[in-house]
Amino acid sequence: MHELSLVQGIINAVNETASEREGRVLSVRIGVGELAQFDIRLVRGLLNDLKKGTPLEGARITVAAEKSRVKCLSCGKIWDFQELAGPMSGDEREMMHFLPELLNSCSRCPNCSKSYFEIEQGRSVRIIEVVLDT
Amino acid sequence: MIDQRLARTKRILLVMSGKGGVGKSVVSAALAGSAAASGLRAGLMDADIYGPSSALLFGAKGLPAEGESGLVPPTLGGVKVMSVDLFASGRPIPLAGSGANEILLELLALTDWGTLDCLVVDMPPATGDIMLTLTSLRKEDVGAVVVTMPDRLSTSVAHRVLDLLRGGRVTTIGVLGNMIRGSAKNKGSGPRKLAEEFDVPLLGLLPYDPSVSIAVEKGNIDSLLRTRFARTLSRSMSDHLRP
Repeated sequence: MHELSLVQGIINAVNETASEREGRVLSVRIGVGELAQFDIRLVRGLLNDLKKGTPLEGARITVAAEKSRVKCLSCGKIWDFQELAGPMSGDEREMMHFLPELLNSCSRCPNCSKSYFEIEQGRSVRIIEVVLDT
Repeated sequence: MIDQRLARTKRILLVMSGKGGVGKSVVSAALAGSAAASGLRAGLMDADIYGPSSALLFGAKGLPAEGESGLVPPTLGGVKVMSVDLFASGRPIPLAGSGANEILLELLALTDWGTLDCLVVDMPPATGDIMLTLTSLRKEDVGAVVVTMPDRLSTSVAHRVLDLLRGGRVTTIGVLGNMIRGSAKNKGSGPRKLAEEFDVPLLGLLPYDPSVSIAVEKGNIDSLLRTRFARTLSRSMSDHLRP
């Protein structure tokens, strides 16, 4: 649904960086979080299509999935999101699809039973690295 | 992304107070409802992530539909309503750290408002991340309406908010006194003094109106718009809703 806007945003951000530093883009590394709810294959395809005619054309673009990491702020245990999603109802899974921050509203820590999580990783799409030839 | 989402929104009104319980949510709902009733394309964004009430005030339920270019907010009484409660459905919303602001940003990035003449934002209490986010939007026409009850506890917090807004990106449209009672002579002296001190308009003095509670219980915006409170609000704000 949002992949097109996302890819346009990535291209704009990389273009800005390249323009500011007056460099040619050699490579870009992008991480797509497990909870960011983007179709990674679609992101790759759109990047390949939309980079044409931009400073990204000719650059090596890597798009990799990033696993989630959720920390219980009560007991300190680290969880994979999928470990917490097991007992969720269909409605709750749907809710999490849009707003993973609502994890505290529908899940408890299997270790200490508290609902006090923080999503440490896997929530966002990140431009991890842009390599320029300056 | 958020800039793109709001590109076709002509005017944004932030309804704030700094303090909870002064009636921001009811004012926001009635304001958005009045805008729609006057023929404007209106939206209501519930930015009170911890204590959302816009969905309840409009009787909005269930997850928003997923359209081709974003989440489509349900339209009730002519108002497009977006709230975290459409997702949480009454569940508690405990959030650590910047969670509330993350949800707000996510909702702003996901919501397809289409074209709006006026987007009313029901701001949360306090002057934290959400207020800082929304008062920093890269939009031309963003105004703040500062709601306060007449007592010293409310006006002292509203004073801080007005102070924060001074010289910032957002235009302070004025002060709105709410739940005003008492004799005509000293009516609304607190909000009036605030407006004078900050040299901003006193937009209106909304009466304490017991029929508001009854209308809120019904959970539909039409009942609220029929109250004396909402009619006074509509008159006070009609010039400020249009872009």
